[in-house]
Amino acid sequence: MSLFFIVALPFLGALLPGIMNAAGRSAVAGVTFTVSLLAFVGLLTNLPSVLAGEVVMARVDWMPVLGLNFTLMLDGLGFFFALLILGIGLLIIAYARSYLSRDDNMGQFFTYLLLFQGAMVGIVLSDNILLLLIFWELTSLSSFLLIGYWKHLPEGRQGARMALTVTGMGGLAMIGGMLILGQIVGSYDLSVILQNRELIQADPMYVPALILILLGCFTKSAQFPFHFWLPHAMAAPTPVSAYLHSATMVKAGIFLMARMWPVLAGTPEWFIIVTSAGLITMVLGAVIALFKHDLKALLAFSTVSHLGLITMLLGTGTAFGAMAAMFHILNHATFKAALFMSAGIIDHEAHTRDIRRLGGLRRLMPVTFVIATLAALSMAGIPLLNGFLSKEMMLEETTHTVLFNTPWLVPALAVFGSLFSAAYCFRLISHVFFGPVRDDYPAKPHDPPAGLWLPPAFLVVLVVIIGVAPFVAEPFVKLVTASVLGGEAEVPKAYFKIWHGLVPALFMSIAATVGGIVLLLIFKPALRVWDAAPRPEAKVIFEAIIEAAATVSQKLVLPLHNGAFSRYAAIGSIAIIAAGFYAWATGTVGPTTRTLQAADPVAIAGWGMLVAATAGLVFLHRNRFLSLILIGIVGLMVSIGFVFFSAPDLAMTQFTVEVVTIILLLLALNFLPKHTPIESSVLRRVRDTSVAVAGGLAAFGMAYHFMLRDAVTTPISEFHLANSYKGGGGTNVVNVILVDFRGFDTYGEIIVLGIAALLIYALTEALLRGPVRARLLNRKPDQARAGDMHPMMMVVLTRVIMPVVLMVGFYIFLRGHNEPGGGFIAGLIVSIGVVMQYMASGFSWASARLKYPYHGVIGAGVLVAGLTGIGSWFVGKPFLTSDFTYVRIPPFHEFELATAALFDVGVFLAVVGAVMLSLESFSRLARRAHEPETEHPMDIDPSRETLPDEDGSTAKGAV
Amino acid sequence: MTHWLIAPIILPALLAPFIVLAARYHIGIQRTFSVAGVIAMIVIAAGLAMESADGTVQIYQLGDWAAPFGIILVGDRLSTLMVLLTAVLALFVLLYAIGSGWDERGRHFHALFQFQVMGIMGAFLTGDLFNLFVFFEVLLIASYGLMIHAGGNARLKAGVQYVLFNLIGSTLFLFALGAIYAETGTLNMADLAARVAQIDPAETVGIRVASVLLLLVFAIKAALVPLHFWLPSSYAEAPAPVAALFAIMTKVGAYAIIRVYTLVFSPEVEATAGLHDVWLLPAALVSLAIGTIGVLAAKRLDRLIAFSVIGSMAMVMVSISLFTPTSIAAALYYMVHSTLAAAALFLISDLVRTGRGNVDLTAQAPVAGAALTASLFFAGAIAMAGLPPLSGFLGKLLVLDAAYGTDMMVWVWVIVLTGSLVSILGFARAGSILFWKAHSVSPSPDALVMPRPAVLSYLAVGGLIALLGAHTVFAGQVHGYTTRIAAELFAPDAYMDAVLNTPGKLSTPSKEAH
Amino acid sequence: MEFLVASAIGIMTAAGLYLLLRLRTFPVIMGISLLTYAVNVFLFTSGRLTIGAPPVLRDDMTTYADPLPQALVLTAIVISFGMTAVVVMIGLGAFLGSDDDHVDDQPEQSGGPT
Repeated sequence: MSLFFIVALPFLGALLPGIMNAAGRSAVAGVTFTVSLLAFVGLLTNLPSVLAGEVVMARVDWMPVLGLNFTLMLDGLGFFFALLILGIGLLIIAYARSYLSRDDNMGQFFTYLLLFQGAMVGIVLSDNILLLLIFWELTSLSSFLLIGYWKHLPEGRQGARMALTVTGMGGLAMIGGMLILGQIVGSYDLSVILQNRELIQADPMYVPALILILLGCFTKSAQFPFHFWLPHAMAAPTPVSAYLHSATMVKAGIFLMARMWPVLAGTPEWFIIVTSAGLITMVLGAVIALFKHDLKALLAFSTVSHLGLITMLLGTGTAFGAMAAMFHILNHATFKAALFMSAGIIDHEAHTRDIRRLGGLRRLMPVTFVIATLAALSMAGIPLLNGFLSKEMMLEETTHTVLFNTPWLVPALAVFGSLFSAAYCFRLISHVFFGPVRDDYPAKPHDPPAGLWLPPAFLVVLVVIIGVAPFVAEPFVKLVTASVLGGEAEVPKAYFKIWHGLVPALFMSIAATVGGIVLLLIFKPALRVWDAAPRPEAKVIFEAIIEAAATVSQKLVLPLHNGAFSRYAAIGSIAIIAAGFYAWATGTVGPTTRTLQAADPVAIAGWGMLVAATAGLVFLHRNRFLSLILIGIVGLMVSIGFVFFSAPDLAMTQFTVEVVTIILLLLALNFLPKHTPIESSVLRRVRDTSVAVAGGLAAFGMAYHFMLRDAVTTPISEFHLANSYKGGGGTNVVNVILVDFRGFDTYGEIIVLGIAALLIYALTEALLRGPVRARLLNRKPDQARAGDMHPMMMVVLTRVIMPVVLMVGFYIFLRGHNEPGGGFIAGLIVSIGVVMQYMASGFSWASARLKYPYHGVIGAGVLVAGLTGIGSWFVGKPFLTSDFTYVRIPPFHEFELATAALFDVGVFLAVVGAVMLSLESFSRLARRAHEPETEHPMDIDPSRETLPDEDGSTAKGAV
Repeated sequence: MTHWLIAPIILPALLAPFIVLAARYHIGIQRTFSVAGVIAMIVIAAGLAMESADGTVQIYQLGDWAAPFGIILVGDRLSTLMVLLTAVLALFVLLYAIGSGWDERGRHFHALFQFQVMGIMGAFLTGDLFNLFVFFEVLLIASYGLMIHAGGNARLKAGVQYVLFNLIGSTLFLFALGAIYAETGTLNMADLAARVAQIDPAETVGIRVASVLLLLVFAIKAALVPLHFWLPSSYAEAPAPVAALFAIMTKVGAYAIIRVYTLVFSPEVEATAGLHDVWLLPAALVSLAIGTIGVLAAKRLDRLIAFSVIGSMAMVMVSISLFTPTSIAAALYYMVHSTLAAAALFLISDLVRTGRGNVDLTAQAPVAGAALTASLFFAGAIAMAGLPPLSGFLGKLLVLDAAYGTDMMVWVWVIVLTGSLVSILGFARAGSILFWKAHSVSPSPDALVMPRPAVLSYLAVGGLIALLGAHTVFAGQVHGYTTRIAAELFAPDAYMDAVLNTPGKLSTPSKEAH
Repeated sequence: MEFLVASAIGIMTAAGLYLLLRLRTFPVIMGISLLTYAVNVFLFTSGRLTIGAPPVLRDDMTTYADPLPQALVLTAIVISFGMTAVVVMIGLGAFLGSDDDHVDDQPEQSGGPT
């Protein structure tokens, strides 16, 4: 079967359990088992070619530019691990079916399990190391889900997060390592990388790459100092522990070290780091394991210890070491999985895993007793069981390994470790199964149904077979070893046999076994010593670190982002000014090309007023009405300035906009406090002043610099001046630019106005619907109101001049194309006219006489402008292409009728609509806030006395 | 000549006023037109993208005036890609808004939505700097409207700050434009590129200041530290669908930087040499750090996501600020990813809020639809934290790969990798509090029953996640395309030629007839 | 002349920035308006200063003030008008909702909107 299927099957199959969850537990387990079985068979179909020493490949391009491709490779090593993953996976699935209780969501469990299985198979079959990284991280994620499967248990959550964090960290480090490796070799394909030992080891980046990759391996395989996550992952359901910690997850790191062995191993760095890490882990794990009372914890630490053992063997960098490592991986997988399952059985039947509460199970659970004992003895390294063989090889290897120039160091530590390892195995057997039968088990223990004991039994059979007849495993292990060595070294000749003669290894293992028994005899006093000794509790430390990290980051980030806008603005301004100054300082200043124009007294006077008003605004800004007046003056001065510097259109616009803005602000100020309190400290004000001064100087400098210099070449406006009449049919170039050359800008701008109006309207609605409404209704206006609500004179005046205003607006609009003016200004003028009606005659009176809703006006405006633009499509021209002709309507002098003018109509409407809708919204708020207005606008304030009967009919139709 | 290039702008620009005029009081009609419009936009955008896929640069001269005198729209590979992305995102966001009923909680949602889309489209398509300003204003003011949609105090307060900060940005933009016009006398990007090249090395201050100010304007959009302060609370307080749509707005800033700083102020231009390479990358790295730390620090899901947006935006900026073809290609790939991921996450946070009434990161009893929401969150978190199998991981690889061998390599690698670790922590913490710890909390009797989110909402989110999946599966093709885009950006001859050498009104004798 | 205008721009910018950094909405809006004036004038000056030559074509005139910046400023003025109206309204809404017109707020405390 193609490798793709083998990898894909678990992932695709992962959907099934989730879907079939309703179909019952057996169905779910069944379908999961079938999926794994298919993958397993698919793997076996490749056995012949693997045995023939070929490398099965499969490739699909994914991101060729990056070098990340879906390339799979199956050689002896990959086959070996895939076999373990899928084979033991099958047993686990069968076991889990009986193990999980009815309240567990089995579909979810098997989905996660298959995802994990797929990821693992992916790792061991990847040829592309980036692809391998992807599967690598996937195992972290899926194991996160598996370990946290029992969501209600805090241990589960913490264990899951710890595993994810530690292995995730390693994974990230490994990303770096792999990328470096790929950059060195120029390819991310293992088949290429593995051929470049010299190139890689000669490269200066070799050591960084090595360290980063080893970080990944050590965290995954729980090597010291990253071993602490593994025991806490035991919070997972036992099938998960059995799977993750015997054959799969924790072996991934080992696998990678074996995979990379040809190119990374053999250097002093590799030897020192890997061997010593392995040794320490091996001893540490063994020692801790002996004193654990929880069966699973004991097994977990023993796993840590054995992983250390294997790592140490790989670290030696010799062919024999590699072979021993491979052999031990096989043996460890078999007996450890069996042990975990037995622990699960005991937990399942006796409802406790605490060794201190067990004992005497030998008679109650004979089957389990046999299985567990054989597996444990094998782990202890007793002859005729497979553990013995690989342990012998390990001890043999250590005698040739010299670390830090002290020949005895490695062997001594190895014996020490195996001694403890033997001790905890014996403890497991004697304290759980031997001794008197007790009457205080949490539940009445008895042997489980076959579903639970068959899988471990099967494994134990393997344990015994290999143990008695090692030669059956020999060719396979050597095949695997060959593909590990990858031609960098010869597969050692050594035969697998039980009796090697009186070699040092034999004495060492005898010493270990005897020592183990002795240690078990003195277990109680030893335990007392152990409990007395202070030990760091990894979980506590880890949680503390995480919490600390969270707190620190909160301290770092939250105060900075606490919503203090004025700080945001200050930081922003400083950054902008600084960056600008840096650009200025690093640039070169050219000579001035323009001469200063003499300042005449009028200009100076205007300047004086502007400056005075601005300064006043700064110093008197606390009085809000006053500051409105002052800003009005500033605006006025600016518009006068525009007149002065030959920009009449600007002047008009600025002026009219000014008026409307002030009205808006007045309406708003009607609600806001009239006075700004003094809040900022002197220090703050100093800070702000300095920022302000800096910014001011910057703006001044820029403006002054540019005004004295010409542009690099003639500005594009030359073209506009030259073609305004010819192409745009208007002599007022500014207006032609607005409606023709750059009409699209204007189009965007009226849309902005329209949106502004819609927004204000929508917000008003929201406010008047919400709690604000009540607040408005019972709000007392804080200003003494004019006794005369609608001054007669003003009312009359406004109504008389309204037609005039409209005429003026019309005129301004028409002349706009040739003289200063245009739809924009016209619109503003007209709206001011209408606003006057509002102010004079009151909201209800005016809006009662308003024929069209402002929404419509805005919409119409924007649509007209848009459609005018589209109109030009029908003559095959782009959007907004203009055309024009000349007509004459008395009493106006001749003017031309341009499509641009039609566009200008849109502008006009949009402006009127937008301005009016905004003002209307404001005044609607105001209306809610005051007493209902009268329909008789010319009378005196009804809220004072009885109102004399009079009506505003005289002025009907003024609008 | 065809008018398709302007369609993405005109269509919403006409649809919105039509909705206001005709359908102001009929939510049903509004929804129909809105969705129909967006779907039409997707089709058009796809057409434009195919048109440009072979490298043709489409241009559209508004008012028939040739560049640089008139405004011109340019559709090349980059801009059409962004247009397509926007249209697709808009569809899912709109569906969610309808499904969750957000569009009914205030007035004019659909009109504002269309205007917002129009602004974004215009910003991507225009080839004229001042016109870019106008479209920035359009999309900003529409975004103000959407952000405070449905009101509420917290939202309005955040809204005030959001508007004020962006007003500073607009002011800065005008300063920059003034400086640019004063220095070069033009506003068209291509023409500007030509004129900047003529600047005498003895008088560079003007253009240097101008280019830095402009970059800062875009940096504000892209939420680059220290100009990012507007983002967290405004994105957190905005209605979820709106925040999701905003995911593309930060990208507008990134797009503008890529466009202007490869075309006009490209690293080769010596007048502006030694400016951005000095501080842009460090700033981006700091943003990355702050964003990821914020993910770990946040006490509410929506703020967590807001910070993660800063982080992923910073990833884009890191990659951009390396200014090599490889890095730009990586940035573009990551940009698409980050847009989709951010949008999905904001919508998911709203699913959570619908379920439990708030998004505080505290253990609360499990709610209706929690399982589905949880799995969606898991997927979104994976994407955002840059873990396999989703495109975030590939994007991260691309960025790291692009940084290999540069002088800042160590910094980039260390911060990017630790950054992803920190955000993994943050997301894992949030997820396990929201969805796992919930199982250890028993629902309080007086808890009011929250409605289960609508199916359409789930479909919208699922759609976005599916898009992320596609972005991963077809990573090869997408990345190949972005690589071609990057190549085109660094050799903009076709662009310049199409923009500057296409005659318009009065620029050829035949047109003298007027 | 140039000096007057440039200094006016500088002064308005400085004043605008100072008010921008105040703590209440109203002065901040004032500051924004001042900045708007400043930048409009700055944008205007990018066409350099010309006296008595408005860009309205006459037969008897050859040189005119640069019309383009004027058009740009006109657009800018109108847009900023819209913006001001909006920010005033939102600020007003925020004030009416909370009886507090500080620009600063503490989003970490503020409950999520529903």
